[in-house]
Amino acid sequence: MNGVVLIVALLAFGVLTGGAAGLLGVGGGTLMVPFLTLAVGMSQHAAEATSLLVVLPTAIVASFFLQRKSVGDLKLALRIGVLGAVGGVLGALLALALPGHVLKLVFALFLGLVAVRLLRDSLLVR
Amino acid sequence: MLVNWIQSRYRPRIEAQAQTRPTHPAAAAGRRRLLFGLDPRLFAIGLAGGVLSGLLGVGGGIVMVPLLVLWAGYAQRDAHAMSLGAIIPISLASVLTYGVAGKVHPVDALLLAAGSIVGARIGAGALTRIEERPLKLVFGLFLAAVAIVMLVRS
Repeated sequence: MNGVVLIVALLAFGVLTGGAAGLLGVGGGTLMVPFLTLAVGMSQHAAEATSLLVVLPTAIVASFFLQRKSVGDLKLALRIGVLGAVGGVLGALLALALPGHVLKLVFALFLGLVAVRLLRDSLLVR
Repeated sequence: MLVNWIQSRYRPRIEAQAQTRPTHPAAAAGRRRLLFGLDPRLFAIGLAGGVLSGLLGVGGGIVMVPLLVLWAGYAQRDAHAMSLGAIIPISLASVLTYGVAGKVHPVDALLLAAGSIVGARIGAGALTRIEERPLKLVFGLFLAAVAIVMLVRS
């Protein structure tokens, strides 16, 4: 992509990702990493590192906005997140020892089941 | 600004919703704050969110939101807000350990972040207004899409 197109594309995709992240309660890395590798042409490693730098301000802005609207409990959430950070280190170490493909398969099935449950709750129950 | 105008129109509805919003069972059942000042379930969810995201390379939110809703009994909207808050320390730790050592493209990150800060306000604003059921639908579709991509890739 040439310069101006790339700048506009990054800004626009940023707005899109941020919007999805704020609504869905996720960081947005899931959306950004494929965009950075496939459209911008970064390596997987660079895309992950770059998207991390975007997830942090996105989560901060969304969290403080929601705190002002008294949705959720930010103090409690931050404490959960500190544990999550500890867990993340454990997970990264475990990843070296465990078969990644099998884990991803199992996790994808778990996500699929949760998705079916949520869709059923929103569409079918009364 | 447009965003402020839209929010001012919806504010009465947000306040009405805030009063009827279900609190989560752990909070209602009295304060069992055993581990690290947290209810044991929330302790487990934080740890599991971190472990699975480190293990699988997915964001903590994709793990924590379903657990907060289906296990800890949070309303979908609150679960999303809690997940966003928990992502702050998780991503901060990742930036410090992985991001700094990794090959960050700072200009791309800056442009994406500039857009995403604007988007985050819009998305979080939408989160305060959307009803529980369409929110479950949107999140369910998102999870289904992530699951399909993961299956195809592995």
